[in-house]
Amino acid sequence: MSVYITSTGCFLPGPPINCEQVENVLGAVNGQASFLRVQIQKANQIETRHYAIDENQQTTHSNVEMATNAAQQCLDRAFVARENIGMLAVASTQGDHPAPGMASMVQAELELPSIEIISTHGICSSSTMALKAAWNSLRLEEHDAALVVSSELASRLLKKQRYEAATESTFAEKKIDFNTEFLRWMLSDGAGALLLQNKPSPKGLSLRIDWMKGFSHAHAFPTCMSVGSSGRIGETKTWQDYDSYAEAERKGALLLRQDVRLLDNIVRMGVDGYLRLVEEGINKPSEVDHFLCHYSSHHFKNKILEMLEAAGVAIPQERWWTNLYTRGNTGAASMFIMIDEFMRSSDVQVKEGDRILCFVPESGRFNTTYFHLTAVSA
Amino acid sequence: MSDSEIAISDGPSGGVENKENVSLNPHAQVCLQQLLRVWLGFERDLSTVPLIRRIDLGTYTVEDHLCFLRNLRQQVIEGSRWITRTASSFDSEHSEIRSTIIQHAMDEHKDYELIEKDYIATGGSIEDIQEMSRNIGSEALHGFLMYRSSRPNPIDLLGAMWIIEGLGEKMASSWAERIRELTGLGEDSTRFMAYHGHNDADHMQQFYDMLEEVCLTQESVDIIVKTAKVVARLYRLQLEEIEYEIR
Repeated sequence: MSVYITSTGCFLPGPPINCEQVENVLGAVNGQASFLRVQIQKANQIETRHYAIDENQQTTHSNVEMATNAAQQCLDRAFVARENIGMLAVASTQGDHPAPGMASMVQAELELPSIEIISTHGICSSSTMALKAAWNSLRLEEHDAALVVSSELASRLLKKQRYEAATESTFAEKKIDFNTEFLRWMLSDGAGALLLQNKPSPKGLSLRIDWMKGFSHAHAFPTCMSVGSSGRIGETKTWQDYDSYAEAERKGALLLRQDVRLLDNIVRMGVDGYLRLVEEGINKPSEVDHFLCHYSSHHFKNKILEMLEAAGVAIPQERWWTNLYTRGNTGAASMFIMIDEFMRSSDVQVKEGDRILCFVPESGRFNTTYFHLTAVSA
Repeated sequence: MSDSEIAISDGPSGGVENKENVSLNPHAQVCLQQLLRVWLGFERDLSTVPLIRRIDLGTYTVEDHLCFLRNLRQQVIEGSRWITRTASSFDSEHSEIRSTIIQHAMDEHKDYELIEKDYIATGGSIEDIQEMSRNIGSEALHGFLMYRSSRPNPIDLLGAMWIIEGLGEKMASSWAERIRELTGLGEDSTRFMAYHGHNDADHMQQFYDMLEEVCLTQESVDIIVKTAKVVARLYRLQLEEIEYEIR
């Protein structure tokens, strides 16, 4: 049973925010401009991004609202009756509520009656997990259509009040706490949605899902990106082990952190999975027309990419496509937002038969996911 | 912290300084693909070795460093032996690769003296490091490398060089500075690690040239990759064995 992406949608809250405006939205911690903002923004090369908080750090859109808006746009563009949708899969790093699962909340907003739901939990790759669950459900002929939504509201973790409250944290102690600040200038908000069906759309191009693969390396590496612990060497407590949530916040256990030193490993493991799929005959780089990568290409401009070229399996730069620089890094939502714009953008002419390789790595604890699409018409 | 520390940089072993020069035949390309995977798997699995994990987690101590250097010295001494043996096992039809390997051996055959100096700078005594015998992993690794390098035209040793050179680069790019930061030791304690990596970057183009020269059949691919896998496993064993000394 072949499964097709027959419609897409996205939602980006508020106006595009340029680099200079970012600190106005997230807020200057204790009234002091960051020493690291410009440096980190320069490295990630993101020009504009969106936030679901305003300049007073008040939430303008909940995560569920963003997910619902993207899903609604996807449904509005689809040639399918809502009652034919049998499943809703929702991915996010963190829903508005720790419980219940975010899919329940999105289902309620969308008023989709009596469907099967799944909420996937993780960071960036939770979107691929949701997509794979929905893909498999359709392949097993459990449903005729499934809606997959990924949404991310990172800015609530990144606003100045979070850092100001962490008075007994590494962030408060150090003049510059790179690991704690790194993601503050990387992540932003947004949502994307894909509709999966067991037949192509009657009009326009659909994307057949050819294969999906994932390789996680958590068994080998320490945690690299996380919320829930203080970030101190040797500390084993996680946020709920503190006597109060206030104490957890003071100690910095609710701050989002990236162990920047370990970050290289996600590129390495990304390349390892890519080569593994080449070796298994699943991934054929020479046949890929478009490469959609959650990482920006300049991250790969290093020795390992040169080695892939020497080994004859690199994908030429002109086949890479991304909207990271204008839509921001929206974590789990990024790939769906990218697919949505890719199918609509005038930058690129997607033709019937085009083959698209998508790569979503997650640095959390080193999960790498890949999927392959082919553009088809009915 | 500098820009270079933000960007996701540096892949496995050395880099290609001038990639326009790299044009490999199809077998050499497949070999390089597979060697990359062996390297990436090796590098990942190193993260599970307790001593290396402490570098990642930030709990590595001066005592760990002394122990690391004590165990590295034998490997480096034996390294120059198998490389020279490899060179002498190539016949005149492989004179190019023989020249490259002789030069390589020349460059590195007294590296162990640098380790001894690092050891003393770290607070150890010359007697302690010189009396240290090969650990179980070093025995296995050395035994395997001497066996393979004694065979005629041992092209599979390219797989061994790939892993060992790659590790030199990794020591310099990922470990040397981190170890100094964690332990408060000075640069004179990590000279071997830092120097070794710097030197290895120059060897990368030579590696491609050698691969292009000798990797002309599927059989060549298979033996080079297999030797890389064995060396990766035995090298990790050598590092795992350090832990037994610490306990």
